[in-house]
Amino acid sequence: MTEIWQGLVRAIELIVTLDAEVIEITWRSLTISVIATVLASVLCLPLGALVHFRRFRGKRLLISLVQTLYSVPTVVIGLLVFILLSRSGPLGGLNLLFTPAAMVVGQVVLIIPILLGLTISALSSVDRTIADTARSLGASGPQTAVLVLTEARFAVTAAVIMAFGRAISEVGIAIMVGGNIRGFTRVLTTAISLETSRGDVELSMALGLILLLIALAVNLTLNRIQR
Amino acid sequence: MPLIETNDLCQRYDGRHILRNINLSIEAGEVLALIGPTGAGKTTLLRLLALLDTPTSGAIFFDGANVAGSPRFRLEMRRRMAFVLQKPMAFNASVYDNVASGLRWRGLGRAEVRDQVERVLEMIGLSADRNRNARTLSGGEMQRVAIARAIALDPEVLLLDEPTANLDPVSARRTEELLAAVIRQRSATVILSTHDLAQGQRLADRIGVLINGEIPQIGTSRDIFVSPGSREVAEFVGVENILDGTVLSSAEDVVTVDIGGGLIEAVSDVAVGQRVSVCVRPENVTLALSRLSSSARNSFTGKVTWLSSAGPLARVHVDCGFPLVALVTRRSAADLDLHIGRQVYVTFKASATHVIRTERDS
Amino acid sequence: MALKHIRKGRTLLAGILLIIVLASTVLTGCGAETPVLEPKARLKLATTTSLYDTGLWGHLETLFEKKYGVELDILYAGTGKALELGRRGDVDVLAVHDLPSEERFIADGYGVKRVPFAYNYFIIVGPSADPAGIKGLSPEAAFIKVKETSGAFVSRGDDSGTHAKEKAIWKAAGLDYEMVRQSGQWYIEAGSGMGPTLMMASEKRAYTLTDIGTFLAYKGKLDLVPLVDKGETLLNVYAAIAVNPEKVKGVNYDMANNLIGFLTSTGIQKLIGDYGVKEYGTPLFSAYSDEVEQ
Repeated sequence: MTEIWQGLVRAIELIVTLDAEVIEITWRSLTISVIATVLASVLCLPLGALVHFRRFRGKRLLISLVQTLYSVPTVVIGLLVFILLSRSGPLGGLNLLFTPAAMVVGQVVLIIPILLGLTISALSSVDRTIADTARSLGASGPQTAVLVLTEARFAVTAAVIMAFGRAISEVGIAIMVGGNIRGFTRVLTTAISLETSRGDVELSMALGLILLLIALAVNLTLNRIQR
Repeated sequence: MPLIETNDLCQRYDGRHILRNINLSIEAGEVLALIGPTGAGKTTLLRLLALLDTPTSGAIFFDGANVAGSPRFRLEMRRRMAFVLQKPMAFNASVYDNVASGLRWRGLGRAEVRDQVERVLEMIGLSADRNRNARTLSGGEMQRVAIARAIALDPEVLLLDEPTANLDPVSARRTEELLAAVIRQRSATVILSTHDLAQGQRLADRIGVLINGEIPQIGTSRDIFVSPGSREVAEFVGVENILDGTVLSSAEDVVTVDIGGGLIEAVSDVAVGQRVSVCVRPENVTLALSRLSSSARNSFTGKVTWLSSAGPLARVHVDCGFPLVALVTRRSAADLDLHIGRQVYVTFKASATHVIRTERDS
Repeated sequence: MALKHIRKGRTLLAGILLIIVLASTVLTGCGAETPVLEPKARLKLATTTSLYDTGLWGHLETLFEKKYGVELDILYAGTGKALELGRRGDVDVLAVHDLPSEERFIADGYGVKRVPFAYNYFIIVGPSADPAGIKGLSPEAAFIKVKETSGAFVSRGDDSGTHAKEKAIWKAAGLDYEMVRQSGQWYIEAGSGMGPTLMMASEKRAYTLTDIGTFLAYKGKLDLVPLVDKGETLLNVYAAIAVNPEKVKGVNYDMANNLIGFLTSTGIQKLIGDYGVKEYGTPLFSAYSDEVEQ
């Protein structure tokens, strides 16, 4: 019990005194996950609109496939991206393995299904008349898509925030393709996992607290949006 | 050259024919009302004309060009029109942004957009509400905004689907006044659908009757109301007395029709033996207590079977061997002491009838 | 109007490009001192966990980076995994400690040369009560005793150098490793690094084989004491191997050699030999000299 208490006190100390390593790891975590979320959004919002507005064979199948992938284990994606980016893999020439860029790639792959699926359902929740009205006033396909996305902005923002939450809290990909290199690819989750097993509970607790705070912030934002 | 022309336009949906062989020809600047009962295919036809949907078969020509082109070409064509859908749907944005949306999609500059939007908001009387979220508007205000969104674009063709259908009487009247003003002020071609005959009469130059996916008749409102081309049209435009029978004889443009319960003389040139429907508008039927010596060729004795009031008028059902409805003022109804069972003399002129060939039996 | 429309499309495209450019700027930036997308400026090292957990690399990293103006990326992996990363070309240089697999790595052409740079000894540690009574025995006898008394034993179980050494001791004791592995719940396979394995042995009051360096570095957090520390089999040599650029394309061979030269330089050798004195009162490693191998 005293260990937990002391650990907690020390953890809070680390946060309050803006310990350089804590700040650095937090900042890196945020940066990588924000970039992954932005890239995935740039990809998924138009793609979601395309799937939503186009009629094609196997559309339902595609959507349920995407939904199935919501809960794909992070280590599976970690393995996949590792094999792809490894120097002896097909994309080895990019020299990306064990870099933050590789982690971004992994997180993008991880959150694409959730972002795509939620974007599609956000768009479906918009009355069809909106799209018809837009077209009847002379909107082009992309303009209609932008309008409908705007109409669904709350649901879409919620999707983006949820995707960010999943990206920043995952550990499998970060450790497998990032390698947990100190000062380079070490993020909150990998640091917690490593430092705990190595016995540095205080740092782990500090980082864990920060991760919790981030999760809390994400959820509060979500609640605000959905209210 | 007509501005819009359709060629054997057909639309099937789930194996059901919604529209069958629609051939329309609309001149620039014309106002056409499509009237017909609910489910007749008015919305479907307007959506095709607005290039929102593509027909199962047939073609649409706009300004001489077949619109079945590339999406890019269709967009270009669509940008020369504006369509106000039946259910007015606000974009979740300010009134100003709603009205500005079509202009922005056309890539107009900020100043141009502002001038145009302000002008139109002024016209619909919602200038003060420009910053309000359009979702908070009442039904009538929203319909005005929907119309404003369309007319802000100065379209060559303005399409309106049941513009007053979902509104309370006051909002409906305001909206119709707005439409009348738009039609007066602009040279745009307007195609509107309505199930309200009177509205069609008030706003349109020509009326197309759409029944069961077909247009049996198109013409001026006088044509439609006085000389309906078919039994269905007659029924839809409110001819209450439609008497089916066969032509017995014909002389000097007047035919005698046997309708089972009696003989009717009507002005027509159809051949003897032709199956026909004779239409008599109830306001053209005269009631009296004694046999009148008048020039009216048709005179019958009958008993009142039912009385009901229609605003300032009274609708009188009379059985004179065949059922007939007459429309008289309340005043004369009182003078005649009309009541159920009362014997009356019924007269109408041969020239007040309209004879329709019922072709399937010919 | 069409022109304006096109211009709008271009603006959108430009916006997306801007986001991507910004993203990659932040990526490569992440603080200007750590550029990401320049492969030449980085050297990837896979190191055995026992070297990492002692904190030695944390010490050497800054010195090396300063000297060569390069970013040293240190990946924490057991010897087996480190060699695999080398074969795949995902790292440029290895620091490992399992002679047989190192020799195979070089024989297969993946490594150029094995350069030993430090050594210490393995020890067998366990709870101070020593329930199996192995204190002072030879490593082989101690292992047999632990097995016979079914005293709990935590194995690295991760194909690391330490794991290889453990297997070698079982073999020297005349036992088949596969049989040992499957002989009961007393044998626990941790599947993680040296530090975590020690933590687990301490939690479970179990015996384990460890390099002395990591044990000393973790001593304060552990409820374990050294019980067996004598025996030829317990020698633990750390070697650096540069990945062969002729066999594996794209590896940073020159910088890998710089690192090996750095490790064997007199100054660093002395530093390795002294490492730990200040913190633990005793050195964790001995600097490597040729006579060790004889």
